[in-house]
Amino acid sequence: MKAMKIIGVSSKSILKHKMRTFLIELAIMVGIATLTVIVSLTQGANKLIMKRIQNFGPDAIMVHSGGGKMHGPSAVEQANLTRKDISDIESIAGVKFASPFQVEFDMPLKYGNQFTATSVIGVEPDWEDAWRRGASKGRFIDYSDNEQLSRVCVIGTTTAKELFGKVNPIGENILIENVSFRVIGILEKRGQSPSGTDFDDLILIPFTTASRRLMNQPLYTSMLRVIVADPAQAKDIAGTIKGILRKNHRLASTEEDDFRITTAEQVAKMIKSTSKILGIFLWLIAVISPMVGGIVLMNIMLMAISERKREIGLRRAMGAKKKHIIFQFLSESVILTVSGGIFGVGVGVIISIFIRHLGKPISITWQPFVIAFLFSVLIGLFFGVYPAKKAANLDPVQALNQ
Amino acid sequence: MIELKNITKSFQNGTIKTDVLKGVTLTVQRGEFIAIMGSSGNGKTTLMNILGCMLKASGGSYRFDGADIETLDGDQLSELRNKKIGFVFQAFNLLDGTSALDNVLLPLIYADEYPSDAKERAVQLLESVGLGDRIHYNPNELSGGQHQRVAIARALVNEPAIILADEPTGNLDSESSKEIMNIFKTLHSQGKTIILITHNRNDAGYAGRIVFLRDGKIFEGEAPK
Repeated sequence: MKAMKIIGVSSKSILKHKMRTFLIELAIMVGIATLTVIVSLTQGANKLIMKRIQNFGPDAIMVHSGGGKMHGPSAVEQANLTRKDISDIESIAGVKFASPFQVEFDMPLKYGNQFTATSVIGVEPDWEDAWRRGASKGRFIDYSDNEQLSRVCVIGTTTAKELFGKVNPIGENILIENVSFRVIGILEKRGQSPSGTDFDDLILIPFTTASRRLMNQPLYTSMLRVIVADPAQAKDIAGTIKGILRKNHRLASTEEDDFRITTAEQVAKMIKSTSKILGIFLWLIAVISPMVGGIVLMNIMLMAISERKREIGLRRAMGAKKKHIIFQFLSESVILTVSGGIFGVGVGVIISIFIRHLGKPISITWQPFVIAFLFSVLIGLFFGVYPAKKAANLDPVQALNQ
Repeated sequence: MIELKNITKSFQNGTIKTDVLKGVTLTVQRGEFIAIMGSSGNGKTTLMNILGCMLKASGGSYRFDGADIETLDGDQLSELRNKKIGFVFQAFNLLDGTSALDNVLLPLIYADEYPSDAKERAVQLLESVGLGDRIHYNPNELSGGQHQRVAIARALVNEPAIILADEPTGNLDSESSKEIMNIFKTLHSQGKTIILITHNRNDAGYAGRIVFLRDGKIFEGEAPK
């Protein structure tokens, strides 16, 4: 009852001092909006990372030609995986199959008078199983296409959009480096690859057509996707593959690998380590900006208290105890920060929606609301305590005679 | 009701010690209307603050309604002020932007129990000081005399044992002063205990008894020059 009365006093004072209320709420609002947007952004980024890792596939091991520490696929010029390598890998216990493919980046494409360039990948029919990704329209590349070195292609949705616009691509002919290919299918949409590139900006053609007709690499394969039966074994199998390739490639113990092996675990580690630093940085901003709001609150409250000494003295004379004064000013602070926080979350969500419309990954869930609310209360308490205590410790006689 | 025995108060300002009260002895009976007179600089305000339990004496003893004031802590003093003392200040001390009614209700916020008839009581008190038609007016819409009437209503709302008025007419014209003093007179006739601190002889004339504060001491009757 007494508490409710004092909260009533606080609320009235908040409504009475409009400029002060506006400034404090503005400061808290900016801080909490920043916090909300950053939480949404971080969650969006995390979701995206999870999706990327999922896109890689937990049961997959990628074998790249060429050593070094580069990420992403290996181009056909680096190809050094032999047929023996592939069949040796396929005979490892626990390996379901290995799907080889050739990659050539930035191949020029032409349809009518539309030009573009993209990665062209030569694939076997089992690519569909290896990537769990087939044709969403039309059909996928089959064995006869590979046997006959057919000039057919399955096209990613991004490339299709660039090249064809609104025209239905299926059955149309396009030129890949001046060789004519017929579009037989549209590739299922996937989003981003583990390395962050667009997984839908690509063209698939038969492996044999790529190796012999387009890329002039009949002997070696640039990349291999190995599918294992049990994802838990992926790490061990990756080790076995490494041994086989080193032996097959006759590498001396002092020589470095002339290939790279990537597992889902490594991809996750790599992505997380890069996003970790960014994450810490963002969280720092997220936490600091409401703190700045809190400092503004503390300043303005201290100013307000020195302006309201008389009121405090009067209340003390009328029988208010120190704790009543503390409670009054603390609840003023908390009401201000919480209402500022509510505005902040509102503004944060609007900004988040705006960012999403710009095509950036952002996730809007209930968590930012809870975090922002708790943070507002904490800031009100933390930065409100000192001014409130100062008010309570004023000498009533002196305060009254201000 | 009130018993001051040999009360002293000194203030330390750097290395200089000033003795403001040098042994004040005073007894106030229940239902008495007493005026404490003295020109400024004689420790009137200090005495008022000690009587109002806002300030502790440096020495001597102070009994209020049977309680030894020196033994009480800050919260107990707050409680005592809240229950037993009604303050009327020279500067009125009303809260800005707060209606007359809410100003009167202020002491009840800190009462142990908020009386269920608080609002009726406050309205009645405002009516009794002649402001029944202005209960929702803010202080800036009221005249000086009206300010002080609101303050008197506020001093009465917790049904205090004594009313402590410190130069209540100090900021008022003679007409308003008269009205305010008449209110005190009426309150006294209703049996209230009133301590009036003033330097104004006219105001003191309303009291049943006048004492003088001079050089930090109390004198009954005219003070020696």
